[in-house]
Amino acid sequence: MNLLEMSVTVYASLTRHLVRSLLATLGIVLGIAAVVAMLAIGEGGRQEALRQIESQGIDNIILRSVKPAEGNAQQTTRSYTQRYGITQRDVEHIESVFENVRLIVPVMEVRREIYLGQTSTDIKAVATTPAFLEVSRCRLVDSRSRFLVPTDGKILDPVCVVGTKAARRLFGHRDPLGQAVVIGNVSFRVVGLVENPGGGRIGGQFELNNLVCMPLETATSLWGGITIQMRRGMAEKVDYDFLYLAAKNIDAIPGTAGRLRTYLRGAHAQVDYEVQVPYELLQSARRTQRIFTVVMTSIAAISLLVGGIGIMNIMLANIFERTREIGVRRALGARKRDILWQFLAESVLLTSIGGGLGAGLGIATAAAAEMISRLGGEAGLKAVVTSESLIVALAVSVITGISFGTHPAWKAAQLDPLTALRHE
Amino acid sequence: MTQPSPHAPPPTAPLIELTGLEKTYEAGGTLIYALRATDLIVRHGAFLTVMGPSGSGKSTLLNLFGLLMRPTAGTYLLEGRAVSGLNDDATSAVRCKMIGMVFQSFNLLSHLTILENVCVPMQYAGLPRAAMRQRGKALLDRFGLDGRYGSRPTQLSGGQCQRVAIARALANDPPVILADEPTGNLDEQTGLEVMGIFQELHRSGKTIIMVTHNPAYRKYATQAVSIHDGRACET
Ligand SMILES: Nc1ncnc2c1ncn2[C@@H]1O[C@H](COP(=O)(O)OP(=O)(O)O)[C@@H](O)[C@H]1O
Ligand SMILES: [Mg+2]
Repeated sequence: MNLLEMSVTVYASLTRHLVRSLLATLGIVLGIAAVVAMLAIGEGGRQEALRQIESQGIDNIILRSVKPAEGNAQQTTRSYTQRYGITQRDVEHIESVFENVRLIVPVMEVRREIYLGQTSTDIKAVATTPAFLEVSRCRLVDSRSRFLVPTDGKILDPVCVVGTKAARRLFGHRDPLGQAVVIGNVSFRVVGLVENPGGGRIGGQFELNNLVCMPLETATSLWGGITIQMRRGMAEKVDYDFLYLAAKNIDAIPGTAGRLRTYLRGAHAQVDYEVQVPYELLQSARRTQRIFTVVMTSIAAISLLVGGIGIMNIMLANIFERTREIGVRRALGARKRDILWQFLAESVLLTSIGGGLGAGLGIATAAAAEMISRLGGEAGLKAVVTSESLIVALAVSVITGISFGTHPAWKAAQLDPLTALRHE
Repeated sequence: MTQPSPHAPPPTAPLIELTGLEKTYEAGGTLIYALRATDLIVRHGAFLTVMGPSGSGKSTLLNLFGLLMRPTAGTYLLEGRAVSGLNDDATSAVRCKMIGMVFQSFNLLSHLTILENVCVPMQYAGLPRAAMRQRGKALLDRFGLDGRYGSRPTQLSGGQCQRVAIARALANDPPVILADEPTGNLDEQTGLEVMGIFQELHRSGKTIIMVTHNPAYRKYATQAVSIHDGRACET
């Protein structure tokens, strides 16, 4: 029997008990839906993690100064100045010893509010060097924009570059270029507009698109060599708030990070720093992804097992009901393998229909999960349905049909023609 | 041996030769002789009726002819070829191409149209779809079912169903048609119509082997076997 004839036969048999057949595929539908939805959410999560990691720069190691828990220092005198974080000595050591570091970009938080009219904003001002543009994975928004250049620092020019979000906040629809931003009573002229496409943050803290950047030298000349913050009669001294270390060789980053941690442990009396390695985050994101895949595969396997048993049951019931048909077909010249193929094709068609419905349900579930997770806030789940996942879903449903349809089909083929013919 | 009827063609080559063919069943330690050693020759173009009381072994004989069961002893030659020892695939091929079967209860597949029913044996013979449907329609036309191709068996009368079944038996143009009480489920009038069709098939050269209860049908036969208690003898 050729394929066309077989599909006609199979179609005719299945439509006879359409509702029952569809009910039988329910397990497959749910199993495949789970596969597709979880693949979509997993893929979305993976892409999101990658995007976030890459927006931090995969070749960067970022050091951040962290204020240690208060009270452990000898905080007895009234005007005590607390020193913590990454020091100038650390920078010098890294420069001289760490061969894999090709670039060190310091970032200082200018601890002064930026006002819009009378209200203070959450826009952060930082002071940094021209190489910040590269290491922070920002780009200039248009050709009229420029980032900070070495001359800005040399001539102590009060210029600044603003992130797109900050610019919208400060200037609305007006052209930000040439406008003034007032920081600590000093007016800074906007010379550039930058954007980080991934919406990343400096060391996970300040949103890059919500920054105002000024030359490090200008900030230092205005407010002194060390940024000081007064708080309840206390001062803090931090040499560097963030330090971007750009690596020459990405593959050597784990080693570099290890040696850096060892050095910092030795050089700092307390843990007043944090080492962020996007490359390691990527590795751990991959690990999480693998775990997710294993969990997902197990759940899908269980649903498909249950679904497959459902298919096997319905096929056995089908075959019992249609014993006489099998006898008639054998009497009219069907070989064992004709019967086998017919019933195997029926179960594969059943599971494929189930797989198709399941894929649809899975896509809908993934989309719904994405929508629901976004109801609360801006950042939620992301679901990405890839064509590979649909191919996997189809292949899995076909394989399930074959695995669980073979036994019933084989039983059908083994029936004695005369016994089958006399059935009922 | 044969009683040549006025319409019977002159004796021709044997189509079927049975030698010592026997079928026994074992039930609870005792041997049941469904068919005792039987010798029989059926020639091309014969119309053989098999008669006998219920349970005498008529269906057993017919199922042996139709290769639906294997004899426990003896040989069965079909067109000179020993067919009782063939493997399953070869047996299926013989059933497909050499034998047409008509049953008392029609045995049409209720979820298929009557055209699809007629096409089933052709599917197993590997005919292309277009040729198959063309031949199927021609067969249905021949038995007065033109225009009913898309009907389901449940929409037809018993007589019409049996005509579909006869059309199906002829699908692969086999030399022999086996019929087990083909009029058993039909009223007398319809039964006669169906017998008319068999007569016509016989005239067109088919060999017919028919199990029947009705002694009146003896007149269609060119050869008759009666069975009592598994013992077959020609009459
Ligand atoms: N599968 C079987 N097992 C045991 N005995 C059987 C079987 N099939 C038929 N028989 C016996 O064989 C005998 C002949 O049966 P059958 O050929 O069907 O008779 P008929 O068609 O003449 O009514 C009967 O006695 C029946 O009981
Ligand atoms: Mg009988």
